[in-house]
Amino acid sequence: MKALLLLLQAPAEHAAEHAAGAEHAAEGAAHGGGPAEVLMHHVTDRVLYTIPVGPYHLLITKHLVFFVLAAVVVLIAARLAIRSYREGGVPTGIGAAVESFVLFIRDDIAEANIGHDGLKFVPLLCSFFFFILFAALLGLLPFSATSTGNIAVTLGLAIVSFLAMQYAGISKYGLWGHLKNLVPPGLPVFLLPIMIPVEILSVFTKPFALMVRLFANMLAGHMVITALLMLIPLMAAINAAFGWAVVPVSLGLALFIMVLELLVALIQAYIFTLLTAIFIGMFAHPAH
Amino acid sequence: MNQQALAYFAAGIGAGLTIIGGAAGIGRLAAAAMEGIARQPNAAGDIRGAMIVAAGLIEGVTFFALIVTILLAIK
Repeated sequence: MKALLLLLQAPAEHAAEHAAGAEHAAEGAAHGGGPAEVLMHHVTDRVLYTIPVGPYHLLITKHLVFFVLAAVVVLIAARLAIRSYREGGVPTGIGAAVESFVLFIRDDIAEANIGHDGLKFVPLLCSFFFFILFAALLGLLPFSATSTGNIAVTLGLAIVSFLAMQYAGISKYGLWGHLKNLVPPGLPVFLLPIMIPVEILSVFTKPFALMVRLFANMLAGHMVITALLMLIPLMAAINAAFGWAVVPVSLGLALFIMVLELLVALIQAYIFTLLTAIFIGMFAHPAH
Repeated sequence: MNQQALAYFAAGIGAGLTIIGGAAGIGRLAAAAMEGIARQPNAAGDIRGAMIVAAGLIEGVTFFALIVTILLAIK
């Protein structure tokens, strides 16, 4: 149960629970750190610094640091891209790279799935795309952590996405019209008691699926890399020769998964953005 | 066999079953998409986009099941 708590730990939790978590980690280390403990230590959050704010404690955790870092990198990249426009009119370097992504998001994600009123969602979709991409890429650096591998972070992203979906429906049809649009029109009345709960549920499962997909993808990649590298000490514990024999295999497979993670970072950023756009489009243009 | 052994056992079997399901789903999807692209190369872009969305949805469900197995193994 403690491991579950560690896994689902919010970045700003109360200090007492963190103390319990730290004890648990210390226990694992004292027992020599079984494979599961090492795996969990690699993917769970860690408190780096505590700032007392009144009765509460603001915890600076590893995931929080890399969360803010990813946001800062996105802002800097955007600023640099805009500057390269101002200078010559023709973007060069980072500006050209960012422009191709932004154009792709505008034309192939927003316009294709939301329609012409999708233009006002382009900034949001671009923020999602670049933040998820940079957060995942930062996580591949040594001594770093993937902030989107924390379910609290993906919950935040999913809540923003949920609000955007509801905003798209409500701003277009009004609150009552939006709620009425959830159920397809022309439905026989006896089906309504079944359809209304199902549709209400589906409103919430959409962002929930976004949250779990991103979280699990980011977590799984790092767990696989750690598990592959952990083969070395596990085999070396049996026999030193086994340990040396498994080194090239283990390193090669881990390197392959690392390269795969580069691809996964792009694909997950694309899928989160695309699904958000599709869901917004579903609320903006319901069946009629 | 104690309870922890049963949990590990269930996690291993569950992870395997999950992967069988996910692989079957994505495999069928990719096969159908490639056939579609071979028949209609003009529509390759649209088919690829639709394929990635469907693959994402299948993958999401697979991950739900995988998280359950991970929780079984580490709890």
